[in-house]
Amino acid sequence: MIFDPILDLFRGKTITIPPLDGPFRANNTLEEAALFARLSSVDNLAVLNDRIIASSGDTLYAFDENGKAKMLQSYAANITALAVSPGNEWAVGLDTGELLIAGHQADLPPSVKCITALAFAQDGSLWMANGSTHHPPSAWVADLMEKNVSGSVWKGDPEGNNFRLISDKLAFPYGLLADNDGVVASESWRHRLVKIDGESGACRILVNHIPGYPSRLAPAPDGGAWLSVFAPRNRLIELVLQENAYRFDMMSRVPRDFWIAPALSSGRSFLEPLQCGSIKLMGIHKPWSPSRSCGMVVRLDAAMVPIDSFHSRANGTRHGTCSAVENGNRLFIAAKGDDALLTMNVSEAGGSQ
Amino acid sequence: MTFNERLKVWRYNILPFHVIGEILTKRWTDSAIPFVTLIVTVVAFGTVIPHFFSLYSLQESTRQLGEFSLVVIGESVVMLGGGIDLAVGAIFALSAFAAISVFFIFAMPVWVAFLAATAAGLIFGAINGYLIGYIRLRAFLTTLVTLIIGRAFFEILIVHFSSQAQMSQVSSDIWDFIGDGTVFGFSIPVLAAILLAVITHITLTRLRLGWHILAVGGSRRSAHNAGIQVRRVVFLTYVFSGLTSGMAGFLFATRLSGAGIGTGHGLEILALTAAVVGGNSLGGGRGSVVKGLMGAIIVLVMTNGLIRLGYGTGTNQMVIGILLAIAVTIDIRWLKNRHKVLDEAYVVPVYLKMGAAQSAVPGSGTPFEFNNQLSKAKSIGLKEIEGPEDVILDRDDHLYCGTRHGEIVRFFAPDYTRSEIFAHVGGFPLGLAFDRSGNLLSCVGAMGLYSISPDRVVKRLTAETGRSLTSVIDDAILRDPNDLDIAPDGRIYFTDSTKRYNAYDWMLDSIENRATGRLLVYDPKDGSTKTLLDGYRYTNGVCMAHDNKSLFFAETWACSVHRYWLEGPRAGTAECVIRDMPGYPDNINRASDGTYWMAFLGMRTPSFDLSLQHPAMRKRMTRRLPQDEWLFPNVNTGGVVKFDENYNIIRTMSDFAGEAHPSVTSMREHKGYLFVGGILNNRVGRIKIDGADENWSAIDAYWGTTS
Repeated sequence: MIFDPILDLFRGKTITIPPLDGPFRANNTLEEAALFARLSSVDNLAVLNDRIIASSGDTLYAFDENGKAKMLQSYAANITALAVSPGNEWAVGLDTGELLIAGHQADLPPSVKCITALAFAQDGSLWMANGSTHHPPSAWVADLMEKNVSGSVWKGDPEGNNFRLISDKLAFPYGLLADNDGVVASESWRHRLVKIDGESGACRILVNHIPGYPSRLAPAPDGGAWLSVFAPRNRLIELVLQENAYRFDMMSRVPRDFWIAPALSSGRSFLEPLQCGSIKLMGIHKPWSPSRSCGMVVRLDAAMVPIDSFHSRANGTRHGTCSAVENGNRLFIAAKGDDALLTMNVSEAGGSQ
Repeated sequence: MTFNERLKVWRYNILPFHVIGEILTKRWTDSAIPFVTLIVTVVAFGTVIPHFFSLYSLQESTRQLGEFSLVVIGESVVMLGGGIDLAVGAIFALSAFAAISVFFIFAMPVWVAFLAATAAGLIFGAINGYLIGYIRLRAFLTTLVTLIIGRAFFEILIVHFSSQAQMSQVSSDIWDFIGDGTVFGFSIPVLAAILLAVITHITLTRLRLGWHILAVGGSRRSAHNAGIQVRRVVFLTYVFSGLTSGMAGFLFATRLSGAGIGTGHGLEILALTAAVVGGNSLGGGRGSVVKGLMGAIIVLVMTNGLIRLGYGTGTNQMVIGILLAIAVTIDIRWLKNRHKVLDEAYVVPVYLKMGAAQSAVPGSGTPFEFNNQLSKAKSIGLKEIEGPEDVILDRDDHLYCGTRHGEIVRFFAPDYTRSEIFAHVGGFPLGLAFDRSGNLLSCVGAMGLYSISPDRVVKRLTAETGRSLTSVIDDAILRDPNDLDIAPDGRIYFTDSTKRYNAYDWMLDSIENRATGRLLVYDPKDGSTKTLLDGYRYTNGVCMAHDNKSLFFAETWACSVHRYWLEGPRAGTAECVIRDMPGYPDNINRASDGTYWMAFLGMRTPSFDLSLQHPAMRKRMTRRLPQDEWLFPNVNTGGVVKFDENYNIIRTMSDFAGEAHPSVTSMREHKGYLFVGGILNNRVGRIKIDGADENWSAIDAYWGTTS
């Protein structure tokens, strides 16, 4: 109605979020996926010599095909990003802001303190996402609730030197996918994927209005990609993001785990915020109820158009999906909030369209 | 308290913004806009135009007003019946002509002229009514046609006969008196209008025919289904409108002793505008005669005022058109959005700074420290019952609980696998208690205090208390009676949790957090109900102390327990005995060892506690988000705590994973077991209590082991 903008002044503008429909239509696939391994706060996955490697806290593990873990290396701080080069060397970013390539410390520009994602291009050059200039990756929730837009994407040579700023003023780039002429980055706080040109740094929106907070990207053999979404959008959180007085009060007085903010897992403590729709009624926790956490992996086609997705919903546990990689026709998913490494058959998984 | 906090308390707790919403719940707010318009119009023109209120000026304008009001009353009745009458101007003119021709040309007596005028009105009204009511033509087009034909007819007649009438020598004192005289300062048209308004008002509001008209206007189909003769009722509204127009035409004829081409021209628009501006709904079914009269005064004062200020007919018609447009817009938008405006305005959150609570987190080492014992409770009636807010056991160990379907379900001892519906009460039975003679008493949400005898006769004990002097909403009714307990003398002490929300909207009460909970007493000796205490944040569980000299009651949203003394030096006063608990207390009941069990409905969360200090944020939350998205206390974890006479917490039991008993609203100890109920749950839990007296039952503790 034409009067709506005027009436909104008196009645308040309704807060809306994109629906879980079309390619994002909710299902229970992640909840039903096979458990490959239990791994405490499993975060970033990669493929090394046809083996799955996974970061967990400050340690890097490699898995055999039966899900048996072997420690590869341990670091001084928590691992926040992981990538494997065409030459089968691995690079890790640490929560302290350090980058190690094949065991050697790379020479980073001083403003890089928050390495959230790494990706090697075909020519061996290394892309790096710096989520924020204000917080380390472990304090991502504070960065979101402060509404910072201070992320950047960098490109360096294969040895990790000569990093060059390609694009900045990004809202927490959290995943990278290198292609021939640039990189695709997931801008988590803006719920979108952008294509960043490798030379000019120009940004073009590829996918907008993702109904969640996107994180890592990984290539699929068919030319498409896998996008992990670690938390759903939530209308109460969107409201709190607009309520400055309450938000700053909350950030200064409420313990971070109990903020009204996205989370990797939820419902584990009675001190967490609860929304009316999430109340357990007659023994049932409604799967469509509002939630601070979820599990979601999105399949993108070669043009980066979402075509399908796998979910763990509000009443599920496989939440906080921070990374997914495909290896040998199988998809591996790291559910960080559930300390679980999941696996499913890619061709089976594609059946929901 | 900081200055900012003081400011918030003043802004949100002291300024009575919640009264706006309460006023909007009243039906009479529909008349508020026309009434204000009336006052503004009269005052504005009264000040601008000199001598507007002089006696002669008033008598002249009220004479005209009287005639006009008659027409508007008729138009209002047609609109109330769901129709519209555009023919009033034509009928008015024809009736005036009828009166003049009979009186002046045929030289008949005045009463014959009156009969002729009313007969003309009745005939045309009946034609309209027959076509619209019985033949079921469209009201708008039909009356438009009668308007055109009627006017054409009138103009032919007036051209032929006006000179004859003017030359007539006939005169009559009665005729002149009606047209010019006054009784006690009132002119005849005004008296006629008042008389007709009173009769019509009584008919519409008190008599069967009036109710039928309103029913037909409100919904034709429902009226038909209810057995009302819709066609006849519609027919009668047009006949009535024709009659009033005829009478008005007669009065016009006596006043001017003549008629011309312009007589009654545009009257239908004025009458329609008056009826709508007064607040009668165009859709029918809503409105009154008084509204019509208000509209008549507004329209007439405006048109006459503008003429006296020197504006021409063009301006005048423009003003009427704009007035009609505004009134129609307000009418339609208001009717459509009234409930939305009410929703917007009704919830007015207050400021509250909760005190810091002791932690209940497992491992915190406080008396409140939670455990997982309640998850081991055996389920009774799993998936058979919904919403057992309270549970109670009788002398034969049978278990009773209320359900959200308004039933009291009985589970049979000893294994509680078989059940029956003990009684159907309706509403939502909440708190339960047995009295001395074995009647089961229940606080029924949204209904009141009820008693169910052992032979299942349901009887209402009370559903209202005294009304306070300053309340806007009716606070005599019990909206959310929650829990009760019975003193040895038979008096029933019970709580009514909120005055502002019905039982089913208890979540809104938590968001608003306004202190409107009450403690009441019902005296079975004389059937009276009295309010003992008022102004608590959701009064909930009630429990007589073991010595029966005082009682405990829970104040849920404040996370406190109060003690109210019934006798002794502090009789009639209450004291907060446990404050700042980490959970929201619900029912309180006696334990076998001389202490008390208390249920925790849910747990405080730091984010919700903080939101209580941000009332504006909570208000915006209710406006901008649907209810399912609102922030709420964490009621997915509750529990049971036990406190002693010195108000120490001595034990807790909970199910913090929330698998079996997420929210606990009641518990009852009986022969070594604890029975646990939850208003949001679909089962009753039963758990053995270590070290409890296995012969103790609450009913014996209250009423002795005899009977």
